[in-house]
Amino acid sequence: MNSAQIEIQLIASLVAIACAIPGTFLVLRKMALITDAISHSILPGIVIGFFITHDLSSPLLIVMAAASGVLTVVLVEFIQKTGLVKEDTAIGLVFPALFSIGIILIAKNANDVHLDVDAVLLGELAFAPFDRLALDGIDLGPKSLWIIGTILLITLGLLFAFFKELKVSTFDAGLASALGLSPVVIHYGLMTVSSITTVGAFDAVGAILVIALMIAPAATAYLLTNDLKKLLVLAVLFGVGSAIAGYWVAYALDASISGSMTTVLGVLFLMVYLFAPAKGLFSVLYRQKQQRIEVSLLTFLLHLRNHKEEEERHVKHLNEHINWQKVRSKSVLDLALKNNMITIHKDVVSLTPKGKKFTTEAIDYIVTNKNSEIENMKDRFFLFRG
Amino acid sequence: MAEKNKIAVQIDDLTVAYNYKPVLWDIDLAIPEGVLMAIVGPNGAGKSTLIKSILDIIKPIAGSIQIYEKPYKKQRSLVAYVPQKGSVDWDFPTTALDVVMMGTYGSLGWIRRPGQKQKKAALEALEKVGMLAFKNRQISQLSGGQQQRVFLARALVQNASIYFMDEPFQGVDATTEKAIINILKELRKAGKTVIVVHHDLQTVPEYFDWVTFLNVKKIATGPVKDIFNDDNLTKTYGINYKVAVSQ
Repeated sequence: MNSAQIEIQLIASLVAIACAIPGTFLVLRKMALITDAISHSILPGIVIGFFITHDLSSPLLIVMAAASGVLTVVLVEFIQKTGLVKEDTAIGLVFPALFSIGIILIAKNANDVHLDVDAVLLGELAFAPFDRLALDGIDLGPKSLWIIGTILLITLGLLFAFFKELKVSTFDAGLASALGLSPVVIHYGLMTVSSITTVGAFDAVGAILVIALMIAPAATAYLLTNDLKKLLVLAVLFGVGSAIAGYWVAYALDASISGSMTTVLGVLFLMVYLFAPAKGLFSVLYRQKQQRIEVSLLTFLLHLRNHKEEEERHVKHLNEHINWQKVRSKSVLDLALKNNMITIHKDVVSLTPKGKKFTTEAIDYIVTNKNSEIENMKDRFFLFRG
Repeated sequence: MAEKNKIAVQIDDLTVAYNYKPVLWDIDLAIPEGVLMAIVGPNGAGKSTLIKSILDIIKPIAGSIQIYEKPYKKQRSLVAYVPQKGSVDWDFPTTALDVVMMGTYGSLGWIRRPGQKQKKAALEALEKVGMLAFKNRQISQLSGGQQQRVFLARALVQNASIYFMDEPFQGVDATTEKAIINILKELRKAGKTVIVVHHDLQTVPEYFDWVTFLNVKKIATGPVKDIFNDDNLTKTYGINYKVAVSQ
């Protein structure tokens, strides 16, 4: 690896961390779409900042862009409050308007400057190492590394200071307000951080990758954990992992770095969505299948309990009577046998004492919905896991 | 029963509107200290809005609200709040214990983090509502009744003087309902004031000693034995109140 390659991966990793942190809270607040809006509507802020300073690297650009990001949120909420349209519609109205104002401003006044729309949307990570920061002729490294590093430090500082406030206002804004931990302040704080991160990152990686890095790692981690701190850590790891893996995919395919990173993020989400232990598609399907069999089992046991006569308990009769196909009957019989709930003697099925007890408790649970008696069965039977 | 002279919550001329449509009209209400009070009224009567206004979550367009003769902002530590169970996302990645710990955030203030003392208080509150065994369970894995108990524990940990609860019996099983009302009665015995938005008119005489009838305007307020009658029920619910009772 040469130093440019290391620098690119370092920048991408820092961007990934800086995005994953606010992204996690945006996902939990069901505000993922707002990052899409912010990443586009910062454009007029950048353009106006440029008109004032005539310097593309001025910090004022970041301030102006962050301000127009927050303005987006304010406008969306204002339109939403009229009660005439819903939030998603309001977002769809606001950001194209602001974005196009930015484009018109560029077209009318800044045609001769390097401020083109493609760069805003897609970015070009490969060029990041060429734009360097120098002090007294000493090379201090790529400028984007410094910008995103600073933003990341601020984000981390705010996260550690206000973790509890972020958590309570995200989970229960009403309580946060009643406790005097203003959810409004936290809300706009989070929006400001998201805007600043977007501005800091988009120059290096482009707006689309910023959205992907904010939403995808958090959404992926959400499928794997029920703990907010672990969720944040996992989101950061997924973000950094995808950024680095994406870089090498791009290297191997000679393709766009941002595009490859976004693809890796998408593939990673798909994999976790399919194979996650508890919330993944396959384990959900498996659970549903087991629940179906267990319901059948209970039906079957109940039938046995209610019928003492031998002819009612004959295996053949069960097939006809309960109207199940052979396969299903067999899997139910197997499950009952495996759990020692029945005995089969000369094709006549009988309930064991254990089977009787299970039937009574399970029916009782389903009727009264009381948890206590069923608690020790939850590990073995999906039926009681709610 | 505690002395009835001291006023815990004093509301004067309160009007609240959403988008210029009043949901509470000119409410005057004095809630005495030490009562267990039900707020009853039909859907859209402004019951939740009244509680949220007292807690400064909704800004009224007119009127004043005093908690022990001072504005809410100065009396936060005296007040605990149990919102409607449906108002939060129970898929949020956190545990029962952590939700109860949130009750301590008010006394901590900004930035300071909860420590051992707060954790101990939260565990005690969980034990009081019979949920200690579930402390590390993810909140979406709890039943409706268990979730409501966790919310109650979160209010208990605030160790307040006045408790506001928005429909604590909604969607809970009979055992939980009994457990909750017993805890509320204990709070009243300890001299606390408990204010509950309540839907089941049948249980009002059994559970509460004070009642407020509300339907955008205040219809009546006072001891259950004096004012819980057909006359006030008809005024609040219209002539069909008997349907509401039988529900």
